[in-house]
Amino acid sequence: MSGVTWMRTKLTFVVAGLVVVSARPAPAHHAFSAEFDADRPIHLEGTVKKMEWINPHAWVHIEVAKPDGTAETWMIEGGTPNTLLRRGFTKKSLLPGTKIVVDGYQAKDGSLKGNGRDLTFPDGSKLFMGSSGTGAPNDGRDPTEQKKPKR
Amino acid sequence: MRRESEVRIRCLGVLTAVMAVASLAPLPVAGQATPPAPDTWTPTRTPWGDPDLSGIWDFRTLTPLERPSELSGKEVLSDEDAAEYERETLRALDKDRRTSDGLTAEQDVRNAYNQFWWDYGTKLTEDKRTSLIVDPPDGRVPPLTPEAQKRADARTEALQRPAHGPEDRTVWERCILGLNTGPPMNPSVYNNNVHLFQIPGTVVILTEMAHDARIVLMDGRPHLPEDIRQWRGDSRGHWEGDTLVVDTTNFTGKTSFRGSGTEMHLVERFTRVGAETLLYEYTIDDPKSFERTWSAVIPMRRTEEPMFEYACHEGNYGMFNLLEGARVQERLAEESARTKSK
Repeated sequence: MSGVTWMRTKLTFVVAGLVVVSARPAPAHHAFSAEFDADRPIHLEGTVKKMEWINPHAWVHIEVAKPDGTAETWMIEGGTPNTLLRRGFTKKSLLPGTKIVVDGYQAKDGSLKGNGRDLTFPDGSKLFMGSSGTGAPNDGRDPTEQKKPKR
Repeated sequence: MRRESEVRIRCLGVLTAVMAVASLAPLPVAGQATPPAPDTWTPTRTPWGDPDLSGIWDFRTLTPLERPSELSGKEVLSDEDAAEYERETLRALDKDRRTSDGLTAEQDVRNAYNQFWWDYGTKLTEDKRTSLIVDPPDGRVPPLTPEAQKRADARTEALQRPAHGPEDRTVWERCILGLNTGPPMNPSVYNNNVHLFQIPGTVVILTEMAHDARIVLMDGRPHLPEDIRQWRGDSRGHWEGDTLVVDTTNFTGKTSFRGSGTEMHLVERFTRVGAETLLYEYTIDDPKSFERTWSAVIPMRRTEEPMFEYACHEGNYGMFNLLEGARVQERLAEESARTKSK
């Protein structure tokens, strides 16, 4: 077995281990598994009412139309805004009226809150994308990374 | 239990090796094919003559604190293997993988949110180490003492059941300290930035998360009395050559770094080894908690990016939701027990 092949085999094993590590509690500021219910997946298509750019987690408030013609407001949890600010996103980056799609999980207490596990625009593109290639955050070290949006 | 001086000698060996990389000396490890570019930096000083460490430093890295067991005995990767490791790690950590990619719903919830919110870097340390821990040589946190293990088990138990109150949750979920600020500081998933300020007689260590300032007095006064305990301990500093040495004691026991307790004696060393690199090294001496002392070395990179405020309490709705969720879980468990008993 060549050195590289051996390493690849080893690394695959290591990386499999990392998946387990990433599944441990509290990789982020708080344990989402303690806040949201894995048995209550949600799919919401709504319109942004307001965006709270606050720490430790940003919250997007969206209005979602119900089949009976009425509407309800959901609060959707995101991550720390600092990462996005550093990449040049601002308060104007997600304005009221913008249509978005949320795939996530509802809060354990059954209230109209969810985690924004996957935030997209209706055309399927991701909100706040700042990098290309690996999909890793834009840290300026990867020449393929896109330029920052204008502030 | 090793004496600190022995550990220092070991650490200095590794530190010297890391500094050698920064100063372009060839690293005596197989696989280091490409040396870094020459660094023509000459050490700068503050107007009052201290080494100038001031500025914002970025400590993101994919290098884990502990060496993965599968890489046991391999302290450094070749450039090719490091690139492969980085690619595979980024793929494994990619938060845009969903249940349709094979994750369970439980794993999916824990992954929290899209990749664009995360910022753990894309590279290993420049010297391609497989662990930030340099001592013990196996790159792993030493075994806990029975007393520390008992504390760790109690913490795990509290985190796995519905929380009775905020005290059952971690200090970072409670917005008391950031998840990467320690002390000691360690790279985490985002906001891995620290701003060092210097004035005559004082150094301030301001970490972005949770916008937390540690004031290090450099005037030679002793530590606080033993009965005064602080969340970040009590830090005193002095210079050893061009290295800032920060000595911290008086921890509360309400924080724990990988199992540490109230008696942790933390020694951190900050050495600027180039215009762009600050070496951060720490040694933990806590015989009541660990079977031996241990040390890590983390290179920090200078950044021109600003730090942002992290006013954690402002929007910590998560704690409210988490406790609400815990009450619902309790109610459901009670109802289920009642139904069964009927």
